[in-house]
Amino acid sequence: MEVVDKGLLKQLVEGRIADDDVDEMRRMAKKDHQRFWTYLDILQEKVSWDNTILMRLNDHLYIVMRGNERIVKCDCGHEYGDYRVNWKLHTDIRTRDTQESMEKVYYPTAAAPDADWMEVREFFCPGCSAQLAVEIVPPGYPLTFEAFPDLDRFYREFMNKPLEDESPDWFKDKTADYLAAL
Amino acid sequence: MATVMKETLGLPIEKTLAYKLKQRDELYNESGCYWGIKELTLKNQDPIKFEQFFSRLQSAVFAAREKARYVAASPGGREMGESVWALATAEGDTLAMSLGFISHCAAFPVSVKHMIDNDFEENPGINDADVFGTDDPMTSGAPHPGDTYTLVPIAVEGEVVAWACSVNHIMEAGAPQAGSWPVFTVDTFMDGFVFPPMKTGENLRQAKWWDNLWMRRTRAGAMNILDDKMRLAGCSMIHGSIHEIIQEYGVEYYKQACKEIIEESRIMILDNMRASLIPGRYEGSSFRISMLKGQQKIWAHADRNEMVHVHAVFSQDEKGGIVFDTEGSSRWGYHGFNGYPGGSDVGLFLGITTTFAHSCKASAGVNMNVNSIYHKGSIYNPDTEFASCANIWAQSMQMQCLSSSAIHRNFFMRGYLEEAFAPEDSWDGVQGSGVLADGTPYGFTNFEWVGGGAMGAYPFKDGTPCTWAQHTQLCNVGNSEEFEYLIPPLHHLGRKLEPGYCGHGKYRGGVGQSSVHWMQETGQRLGVTRGGSATSMTSYLASGMNGGYPAPGVVTVTALNTNIPELIKADGDTPTTAGEVLEYAAEGKLTGEVTSWKYDPPEQSMGDNDLWANAAGASGGWGDPLEREISSVVEDIRIGQLPESFAKTMYGVVASKNKLGEVTLDQAATKHEQAALFASRKAESKPAVEWWKEQKAKVESHSIREELLEMYRSSTSFEGYNKHYRSFWQLDDDFEI
Repeated sequence: MEVVDKGLLKQLVEGRIADDDVDEMRRMAKKDHQRFWTYLDILQEKVSWDNTILMRLNDHLYIVMRGNERIVKCDCGHEYGDYRVNWKLHTDIRTRDTQESMEKVYYPTAAAPDADWMEVREFFCPGCSAQLAVEIVPPGYPLTFEAFPDLDRFYREFMNKPLEDESPDWFKDKTADYLAAL
Repeated sequence: MATVMKETLGLPIEKTLAYKLKQRDELYNESGCYWGIKELTLKNQDPIKFEQFFSRLQSAVFAAREKARYVAASPGGREMGESVWALATAEGDTLAMSLGFISHCAAFPVSVKHMIDNDFEENPGINDADVFGTDDPMTSGAPHPGDTYTLVPIAVEGEVVAWACSVNHIMEAGAPQAGSWPVFTVDTFMDGFVFPPMKTGENLRQAKWWDNLWMRRTRAGAMNILDDKMRLAGCSMIHGSIHEIIQEYGVEYYKQACKEIIEESRIMILDNMRASLIPGRYEGSSFRISMLKGQQKIWAHADRNEMVHVHAVFSQDEKGGIVFDTEGSSRWGYHGFNGYPGGSDVGLFLGITTTFAHSCKASAGVNMNVNSIYHKGSIYNPDTEFASCANIWAQSMQMQCLSSSAIHRNFFMRGYLEEAFAPEDSWDGVQGSGVLADGTPYGFTNFEWVGGGAMGAYPFKDGTPCTWAQHTQLCNVGNSEEFEYLIPPLHHLGRKLEPGYCGHGKYRGGVGQSSVHWMQETGQRLGVTRGGSATSMTSYLASGMNGGYPAPGVVTVTALNTNIPELIKADGDTPTTAGEVLEYAAEGKLTGEVTSWKYDPPEQSMGDNDLWANAAGASGGWGDPLEREISSVVEDIRIGQLPESFAKTMYGVVASKNKLGEVTLDQAATKHEQAALFASRKAESKPAVEWWKEQKAKVESHSIREELLEMYRSSTSFEGYNKHYRSFWQLDDDFEI
């Protein structure tokens, strides 16, 4: 296999693919460079909104163009704002900080984290309540900014298709600025 | 140019190791290419000859492993993947590796550099077929003293042109706390038998005193000597093979081709990185408890509990190579969870080598594409020569999983979903020492749950149990019978998958595995501890994948003075997993003193019919659990991998299983339960901004337990993380954390 076609990739994205096909993809001597574009095509067709997807961040979240902005958007349509701010700051957060509540998500009970030391944070989309992320950290731990891609560099250097609105400002983490304004 | 002789060695200076090391570094710094090689001349001139040459090198190291491992007495070396043989350049850069511990290629150049920097060429001399050994984290790049190295120089007319290298994980390291990964270690003087690189033999033969050291300084001397012979046997084979190859191809071809091999793989690995990664900034963290307070009264400075913080940011350099910055990780401490940069790299390279060197020669080319940053004073680069590294694998494998997590997120974001999974694998070793009834002392480690763990969930299917080992391609948990034979009092009452034990999600992680060790004929004394990764106080990594839960830590359950003989006599129904030990105890069926440990237990004195149960090897989930197909949940119940009660709380699936193993789904109740779980998300959560304000107040009022405040103070003592922490909580510069 030299290229993964759109049909097969769609099966992979939707979790309907046969194990043999997955094995064949893993045995590719070199990954197909155009996969990224096929992937975006499939994802764009699956969402109900029109914003152009620049990158998939998460099962439900995408970095998309909105006018001259780059924002994070859920497939349900909920918008999280500037992608340079950790999107978790725009979610709904549930904290499990008792042993009983932790034992509802880990089994056997002995495997559940210790509520005297750690807390389980679950991040939900305010629009559709999808669970987008889970953190298990001590109280007082800053939210983890899991992925902050340098879109300009990726599109220009890795994909040879520069974005039209390139600017050095796009790869500046704005999380602290957002928090300072609260 | 006239040849300058280095008188003491009787060699032209350009043939000395010191000169070669200096030249290699200067040429690389100038050109960015290995030894300044900008063209693969030999490859381009005659590619068939070049590839045949490499295949001979590769065959030499493969053959060494396949034969030498049968010399070993320890199951880790012989049948599991706990060893590797390699061929390295004169400077210690790896050219070819056998199957096994391939990330240890990061350690060889550290050992060689240490020997060069300390004038070993003059004293004790580095000659063809000498034997050198080491296991010292600070000087040799060994992760911990349990990983023991043998290095044999290969010289032609006095010029060292290569090293045959080997490493294996021995069963007992000779520390005050017996086993392979002592947990209670105040400093390096409690790490066990630690030795910097030293000449231990000549002419492919170890000195007699060397065997005596193993016998006197470890508790499994005979086994460790046989492992030592195994390493040397393989190195001897490589030594012989390379001399034959040099004779056939000529020494000049050999030296030049070796440089080209590494440069070729450097280029190909960089290409693989650029082909699958997305430049950016990827943050991750994990935690590991060190619970030592009250365990002793001798070393006051080590009488404390400490939550070790592992923090890393993964990014790319201007070429597309990996930059891995561990700033924010805790300062080193008086415990075993430290490591020096060489050993830390061995940890970091676990995932990187296998991921990016799959389509090319797996050589030191990978090392040149990774910039690992270990800040001075941290757990990965202590600013003392005396830090203990006994259990470095705990937090270095967590650290490498942070790197792998970033890589796998990249695969997902770029569309290479087939390669993406939640890379976690909590591992565990049971270790200890004892004295048999006849007075024979011994030490041991049971490696089984080091040898294999579960694959994490993929973005399109569940993870698979017991199919992965971060440190080796040879996932193998060893034979139960062999461990029982080698560790006389430990017998498997159970050895199987632990139902429900994984990170859950739309796709669940592979379920971990559990053993119940039943103590029999414990003789005069038996003390048991554990060494290993995160305990169940924390998860393995802090972040799950895209809504899935991260893998749980390792479960340890002890049961003393049990009624197992009565249970066997009654109907033979005894607990077979750690979870079952707790269940049987809760039901009153199992009696005795049962303890579930969320941290490393202090040494447990065990007698006949005591139990040590553990569960490890669990992996993480992927995606929102409420999006999991109901049929998949039902199937998990049917195959015994998910208790019905937990299926309800975790997935909202209400189903029952009859005695024939048939599962009936209650569709109406499931619909109701799932709706309730879904509704609880809104009802029990709060907007992040509100959450942030509450947490900030907690941080500002120090309403956090003292050990955790200490953790934050430790991490924020590094400038970059201090800025990160203060800016997230919007704390003034003069606020005292």
